[in-house]
Amino acid sequence: MSIEQALSFDHEFTLQELLTGVNSSKLLQALLTNLDSPVRILDTHDKCLFDIELDQFEEKHPLKKTPLYGELEPIGYIEAYAPLPSLQSAAQLIQLILYSNSRYLMASDLHIKTQRDDYEELQRRNAALETSKVKYKKLAESLDLRVKQQVKVIETAQLKLYENEKLASIGRLAAGIAHEINNPIGFIRSNLTSTESYLNALTKLDAALKTGATNSYILKLWEEEELNYMLEDLEDILKESIDGIDRVAAIVKDLKSFSRVNDADEEDADINEIIRQTVHICAPQVQNKLEVILDLADIPLIFCHPAELGQVFLSLLLNAADAIAEKGKVKITTGINESNICIEMRDTGCGISESDLSHIFDPFFTTKDVGQGIGLGLTVCLNIIKAHKGSLNIISKLDKGTLVTICLPIQHKKY
Amino acid sequence: MAIHDEDSNKLTIKLVYYGPAMSGKTTNIMRLHDLLNTDLKGEIMMMETTNDRTLFFDLLPLGFTTSSGLLVKFKVYTVPGQVVHDSTRKAVLSRADGVVFVADSQLSQSINNGQSFENLEANANRVGLDFDSLPLVIQYNKRDLTDIISETEVQQRWQQAPWPVTFSNAINGSGVVETLQALLSQVYNQLNTEFKFLDQHNLTQTEFINQLITGDISHQT
Repeated sequence: MSIEQALSFDHEFTLQELLTGVNSSKLLQALLTNLDSPVRILDTHDKCLFDIELDQFEEKHPLKKTPLYGELEPIGYIEAYAPLPSLQSAAQLIQLILYSNSRYLMASDLHIKTQRDDYEELQRRNAALETSKVKYKKLAESLDLRVKQQVKVIETAQLKLYENEKLASIGRLAAGIAHEINNPIGFIRSNLTSTESYLNALTKLDAALKTGATNSYILKLWEEEELNYMLEDLEDILKESIDGIDRVAAIVKDLKSFSRVNDADEEDADINEIIRQTVHICAPQVQNKLEVILDLADIPLIFCHPAELGQVFLSLLLNAADAIAEKGKVKITTGINESNICIEMRDTGCGISESDLSHIFDPFFTTKDVGQGIGLGLTVCLNIIKAHKGSLNIISKLDKGTLVTICLPIQHKKY
Repeated sequence: MAIHDEDSNKLTIKLVYYGPAMSGKTTNIMRLHDLLNTDLKGEIMMMETTNDRTLFFDLLPLGFTTSSGLLVKFKVYTVPGQVVHDSTRKAVLSRADGVVFVADSQLSQSINNGQSFENLEANANRVGLDFDSLPLVIQYNKRDLTDIISETEVQQRWQQAPWPVTFSNAINGSGVVETLQALLSQVYNQLNTEFKFLDQHNLTQTEFINQLITGDISHQT
């Protein structure tokens, strides 16, 4: 059998193949009994495949041979000392066995072939899957790398936004502060103009004195130029202007200490002082609707970033102002609780809804209108407080107000 | 690929009835068994499930002996039409010398016909048959039913194709022999070059066909 035939279920079966699995001794015994003769089964080349002999055999009939048919043509012969009809009917019986066996062999060979093909197909698919697995693994790795790169880009962008957020709240103050500085500058300017006209009057008097004018003339001039009033007014003007300049100086001082947002220096600082400065600095911005009540206890200095904490208080204060529609109050309390400094800020604003409350620290979460804030205020606050190893908690009730509690551990610079 | 066994001077030719499930492939070869009048006609070997669906294949062995003494043996197979038996279909189709594609004429079956024909083409390529040169006949069966595709439409559809189209009603046997005839003439042409039917065995195409169909061995000029 060639290899090609071995793979094929429909090759031509030989007599030998078709008798495989048949109990030959039983078959021959049955033939012997029926034909009453020794029997030989031969292939197409007259080679004997099976035979059975009788011990004592008396030849009653001549030796006859008849073909055994496969599908169409003889595939072997049966030989016995028997009448031809008997031999032919024996051949018929054997052919039934052959037919049934060929049916079985073809079905089983075909089954084996399809099983093997299916198995090979599965192995091919498995190999293909392995290849694509490797491909996807590589892809996943490169994706992982790209994700990491993108995360870095996003983190850098976020950091910039954080910085911008810090500057933005300062920026919000600028308008109010400008007004606050403009006001004294305005009246100081007006005072100086008045002073200039008083200088004219004094120049006239000086000229009169130098030409040796009479006392009565000088007195007349004194009254004409209303120098009595001028003296009084000048006193007021100077007092007022000094006050105004002091106010500007104070604002500049607050602003200077407040605006060190990028100052990396940590120092021992008074939280109360930072709160006062913050309230002061944003007073022009919020004073028309917000009444700020301070209840500051005696607390120790702590080692901190004063500028950053000022940023936190400013953000919270501006939030409180935003939460109040017309008039409201904010009460800021400080105190000591165990080894922490606690700062409470309680406002009478609109409060935060329960569904929003769980998102308030999420970056970019905002309920304000577009352009009013990008939703980083509280995120920045929380980060600053965490950097100080502290905690920031917010509880709120809709239409009642919000309570912000900050706890900062009392720590000092290690020298 | 016909196999020539020089030892016993026997040429075995494999013909395959292909097509969608229930299109009448087995009925075709049952009618061939009844209608053909060739010298050598074996029993149909059927491998079927209890509900008459072909499980592995059906096989009808046929044959005749040429005047030169060559035994020309035909093994006519059907494939199982059900989609799931694709491996079996591939194995049966392997080394086929000619194919009858039995299509179901019912309008509702046109998609199944199309899918089965695509499957035939794909499997022919997979088992290494050259589909372009493979002897093939398209048979539209079940012409006795109503709601069937019209002959005109069938002709139009296959106009561009190189294969002959036949119409049949395998239940009563009409068209069944004609289909085989159409296949045999192609198979003769295909195999004549290799096996020299005419030169070595003095076997013409008409004799080749007639010997199998009518058993007529009269030599025609």
